[in-house]
Amino acid sequence: MSRVHSGTRAVSRLSRRRVLIAATVGVGVSAAGVAGLSIAGEKPGSDDSEPLVLSLRDAKKGTFDLFSGGSKVTLTDKKLAEKLLKAVKRG
Amino acid sequence: MSSHREAPEISKDPVADSADLYAFVSPDHPDTVTLIANYVPLQLPASGPNFFEFGDDVLYEIHVDSNGDGRPDLTYQFRFRTELRNDRTFLYNTGPIESLDSENWNRRQFYSVTRVDSHGKHTVLAEKLPCPPCNVGPLSIPDYDKLAEDAVHKLKTGEKVFAGQRADPFFVDLGAIFDLGTLRPFQDKHLVGQKLFNYAGKAVNATDKMNVHSIAIQLPLHYVRREGKKKVRGRDPGAVIGVWTSASRRQVQVRHGRKNDDVYVGPQVQVSRLGNPLFNEVIVPMAQKDLWNSLPPSEDKRFAEFVEQPELGALLPVLYPGLFDNLAELNKAKTARADLVAILLTGIPDGLIDDFQNNTGDVQADMLRLNTAVPPTKEENAFGLLGGDLAGFPNGRRVADDVVSISLRAIAGVTVPLVDEKFKPDDAAALVEQGLSAKDASSKLLKKFPYLGVPFDGFNNPEAEDK
Repeated sequence: MSRVHSGTRAVSRLSRRRVLIAATVGVGVSAAGVAGLSIAGEKPGSDDSEPLVLSLRDAKKGTFDLFSGGSKVTLTDKKLAEKLLKAVKRG
Repeated sequence: MSSHREAPEISKDPVADSADLYAFVSPDHPDTVTLIANYVPLQLPASGPNFFEFGDDVLYEIHVDSNGDGRPDLTYQFRFRTELRNDRTFLYNTGPIESLDSENWNRRQFYSVTRVDSHGKHTVLAEKLPCPPCNVGPLSIPDYDKLAEDAVHKLKTGEKVFAGQRADPFFVDLGAIFDLGTLRPFQDKHLVGQKLFNYAGKAVNATDKMNVHSIAIQLPLHYVRREGKKKVRGRDPGAVIGVWTSASRRQVQVRHGRKNDDVYVGPQVQVSRLGNPLFNEVIVPMAQKDLWNSLPPSEDKRFAEFVEQPELGALLPVLYPGLFDNLAELNKAKTARADLVAILLTGIPDGLIDDFQNNTGDVQADMLRLNTAVPPTKEENAFGLLGGDLAGFPNGRRVADDVVSISLRAIAGVTVPLVDEKFKPDDAAALVEQGLSAKDASSKLLKKFPYLGVPFDGFNNPEAEDK
């Protein structure tokens, strides 16, 4: 993981593979979105089974928004951006 | 309307749309304040099979600012959860609903209440409180009053709460007002209307016989006051609170086609806000209404120019030729409306109205300001402060206050002398009104919490012809 610009938790422990999985298949949630609105859901996700949603905001710079639980972190990874774009045949 | 469908984006999201906000010292418990936030506006009572409900994916909040910075010092959060009893029926209820835990009631809603203090500390006060059902009809719900009474919950921490369907008590002649600013009692004096009418019209209450979903909370006055004071004088700045409500949604929603697999993640993003009635509706330009809904009151300085030079103030002399000449002169001089800035953005300072103030300082923020030291009046005047009733709008807002007419008169210039003794309001400014009162709402108000009337039932509304 390259750089974390902002956010409420460290993302350095996230492997590229896990982020990719989250971005492409959305990681199944068994308890439904409604359950995600509990008080605990307002805090950054701590459970490995919680979904991550990755949004590529700037493909050129490789800027991503990563959403999990009640938090959003912004990170930069040009190679990951290229890989994702290739996966959706835009690269 | 007060804030029903007041902005382009939220008009498409009724579940999160704040319609009205009320804040008043409780008439039957004057040591408490009642705050009511209405959502899901304009409900037709006959709405089966899917009756109205709160959004499980919406965070509803009522905020109180007690130190005048336009930021919350106390927030109550309400989160809802819907449960189905029977996944093999299309029906809301499969028999009469006679209690809140009736086996016949298929689709029920529950909610939690969380208090957030000025340090951001969250405390869950209650969980799984039942809402009452929607008022389906007398066959389904033989005794709605009792069910609704059972849905008033007293919390261990001293608050009383209710969340569920109520009759919308707001009264407004919506059809006329948004047809080129027509006020039916003055339609024959309207620029275009005088070509169509040679008589004064009778106003129509466009929100009559419709329901809303209310979130109501009643709490001891000292819970909301600065430093938790149990007794304050009216002149004490700590007597005044600012109130607003907001609704937020998760920043990201991913739909998978199966509700249970949907993903809601990310920070809450505010999509609806309401403090003073009509602020976003008729003060903020349409191009900025969605932005306004996303911001906290502490950001409202950026909208002050629209309060200082309200568009409606410029329209009145044009729409009603010859009736608002003094207002036209004021507009021509580009005089900033300090009276409206005080009423809507800072509160009315001490010294302008005898024995009254609801000022919160210099921070310009749209909040419903209530001087909690002003006791309830026995005989309410629907014109509130303009009618000499210090306990009414714009000192907080009671359910029966005619906020449309009060706002019209203020914008027409009747409050300018508060800040400019030389200004003489037009005679019409003190007479202008929409021509409605709480008596034009078919639902009668309750004398106790949650005060709003029993929702109209689907069987009888619309009414049968053979009645």
